[in-house]
Amino acid sequence: MTLLGIAQIVIFFAIVVAITKPIGVFMHRVFEGERTFLHPIFRPLERLIYWLGGVREGEEQSWVRYSASMISLSIFSFLFVYLLQRLQGHLPLNPMHFSTSQAPSNATPMTPDLAFNTAVSFVTNTNWQSYSPDTTMSYLTQMAALAVQNFVSAAVGIAVAVALIRGFARHSAKTIGNFWVDVTRCTLYILLPICILATLFFVGQGSIQNFKGPATVTTLEGATQVIEQGPLASQLAIKMLGTNGGGYFNANSAHPYENPTPLANLLQMLLIFSLGAGLTYMFGKMVRDTRQGWAIFAAMALMFLAGSFICYWAEQAGNPMLTKMGIEHVYTGSQPGGNMEGKEVRFGNPMTALFATVTTDASCGAVIGMHDSFTPIGGLVPLFNIQTDEVIFGGVGAGLYSMLIYAVVAVFIGGLMVGRTPEYVGKKIEQKEVKMAIIAILATSLVILCFTAISSIAPFAANHYWNPPGPSTANLNNGGPHGFSEILYAYSSGAGNNGSAFAGINANTPWYNLSIGVDMLVGRFLFIIPALAIAGSLASKKLIPVTSGTLPTNGSLFVILLIGTVIIVGALTYFPALSLGPIVEHMQMLNGKLF
Amino acid sequence: MLKELGPGLRLTLIFTVLTGLLYPAVMTGVSELVFPKQANGSLVTVGGKVVGSTLIGQPFAKPEYFHPRPSAAGSGYDATASSGSNLGPTSAKLLHGTTKMDDKKNEIVDFDGINLRIVHYCVDNEIPYESSVPLDQFKDSHGDLDDVKLIKAFNDDKTPLVFTAKAPIPPDAVTASASGLDPHISPGNAETQAARIAKARGVSADQLKQLIPQFTDRADLGFLGEPRVNVLMLNIALDQKFPVSK
Repeated sequence: MTLLGIAQIVIFFAIVVAITKPIGVFMHRVFEGERTFLHPIFRPLERLIYWLGGVREGEEQSWVRYSASMISLSIFSFLFVYLLQRLQGHLPLNPMHFSTSQAPSNATPMTPDLAFNTAVSFVTNTNWQSYSPDTTMSYLTQMAALAVQNFVSAAVGIAVAVALIRGFARHSAKTIGNFWVDVTRCTLYILLPICILATLFFVGQGSIQNFKGPATVTTLEGATQVIEQGPLASQLAIKMLGTNGGGYFNANSAHPYENPTPLANLLQMLLIFSLGAGLTYMFGKMVRDTRQGWAIFAAMALMFLAGSFICYWAEQAGNPMLTKMGIEHVYTGSQPGGNMEGKEVRFGNPMTALFATVTTDASCGAVIGMHDSFTPIGGLVPLFNIQTDEVIFGGVGAGLYSMLIYAVVAVFIGGLMVGRTPEYVGKKIEQKEVKMAIIAILATSLVILCFTAISSIAPFAANHYWNPPGPSTANLNNGGPHGFSEILYAYSSGAGNNGSAFAGINANTPWYNLSIGVDMLVGRFLFIIPALAIAGSLASKKLIPVTSGTLPTNGSLFVILLIGTVIIVGALTYFPALSLGPIVEHMQMLNGKLF
Repeated sequence: MLKELGPGLRLTLIFTVLTGLLYPAVMTGVSELVFPKQANGSLVTVGGKVVGSTLIGQPFAKPEYFHPRPSAAGSGYDATASSGSNLGPTSAKLLHGTTKMDDKKNEIVDFDGINLRIVHYCVDNEIPYESSVPLDQFKDSHGDLDDVKLIKAFNDDKTPLVFTAKAPIPPDAVTASASGLDPHISPGNAETQAARIAKARGVSADQLKQLIPQFTDRADLGFLGEPRVNVLMLNIALDQKFPVSK
């Protein structure tokens, strides 16, 4: 590790600390319906949307109606994305002629199972991509189906987090806000304005933004190179800000158009963390004790720093087998050293390791390096981040509501230790809340582990409809424990709504498309609905005063308890599976064993 | 639940128009005005002809050009199929390569592998090496290295070929990038290649090395990312300053 490498991590983190409060304060104003400096521009549009949408702005909803609204929006979004994909061959803005008879020879057909998987993926904020966008999606599908869900699914996540915070903040109340209003305000005052500025910044750095067809050039050596174009930057901005992560290109943010410079990359990482970090401050503000928010922030920050440095260390140490062949593994200033397979020269090891940690701390899933080619420990960090439900700043909204669910479990464990009814920010945590929290945590691990187990052994015959390559392990790009890691990562990424991959796995078969589709639905909705149930239940409770028997949840003791809960729950659930994957692979790499 | 269906449908449509059509259309318009070159792909023109993009790597194989990194995009630098190799650190394919049969039942290279890349990098750039079997045994009738034979030797279970470079190889020279379109190589990699290119162009290596820093970007803002050399821009400059004598 070098000073410059460490500086990149530390300075990035310092900027996150600095923007947390301003963003939190602004979000608080937006969701409390207070006037902001953007109101002269967007307030008329907001009212127009309510009028067109048949939404009554002043109306409050119970947690059941809030959930029903959320499901309604998700269903229509799903149908719309599904149809647009299936019909793209008949629609405009399709310069590569995908899904038509003139499609290029390497194009991927838009089958029903692929369209289902992709629609679920974008509606659930996962952005798992079984397809390669370069060879599958028209401009229209990218912008009017996929990028729209990047906005909508992000707004839904934030709305749910806001509703859960209201559950803690309100007392003796029957309602937790209005879903339609929360989603609309989030989109207009938070997502759109930041995206407009970020888009321009990215274009300035070199990202493309046009509606032209591919550019055909003759290279210096006389070969023909076809360079794809399209409206990329506008989608890139929301892909990062909304922690969606679905690439405009197959190589995602490693593609030079999708991440032209290290400076652009810094902004991408900041966009991923900005709203998740801001929400922790907003939480503190809404429960009338900002130290509660900073305690959550501190727990997240410590886990973020630990993950970043472990990943950086592993990637810079590289693969000892390559060192033996004579490849430089130490950074020298004129060459990067370390493990450069699947990494870009402009980013090098420290920045790629940092990005991999950030994108899986949050449920973003964009990548600037191929996680599949990481060293075993370097790949373990993102995998474990996803498996612990991405509570480190997290997906927009999802990070906070997941962390609050862990906080419920943490105070429950704390309560058991001292033998008192647990409390959290002035609310008694009782049977119902703990049950709901456990359902949320168990549901995701259940689908991850069950589907991984099935896909490790399912003996499909070759050319079987469900999996044409044959047994479900025939879809892997790597052998041995690394192949198992590809499967484990796929289902973890799906249920965690992350969307990054050990991308060697060929997941575009009916079996993987449907099973990962179900995996994503469970991970999204069996987390959100319990979270909203907790919100409804807490909102109806009375505030209880702090007494000498209350476990303080705004200090270092609670921070440690919370981190312990996250890591212990994650380790107990996944240690056996991780042992079969990255942990044993690490040992074998050191022994020079190949598969 | 039924009462919620109306707003669900309507807001889906409203958000589609607003964020899926208006937003990208307006951003495209503004980008065309403010950053027309970047918005349209940072294309490079030489002598009135578009030869590529500063941001998209392209294949170079001739000895008189700087070579880019190995690429896993399509058959190499295919800008319609960006991709990394997605091979992990314990992959035999990644290290030793694989062969396959073509339509005419001839054995050809399927995947070159890092070992084979090191062999070529050492031979091309006259880097000292140690080989458990002399490389002459892998030459074909024209005196060129036979890649298929080499890959089979690296994959031999009993007595595999062991080839070790005796001067440090920059890792970017023998590993594939994440996008398969990486426009850059490390400055160390460029310097190692300079002697070969100077020979091919009939100039001194020192003269040629002076060109590299002009196309080297240091870390952004002094701390972000890594130093890097833009291969296409450097090669264009080579052709202008030191044209190949025909």
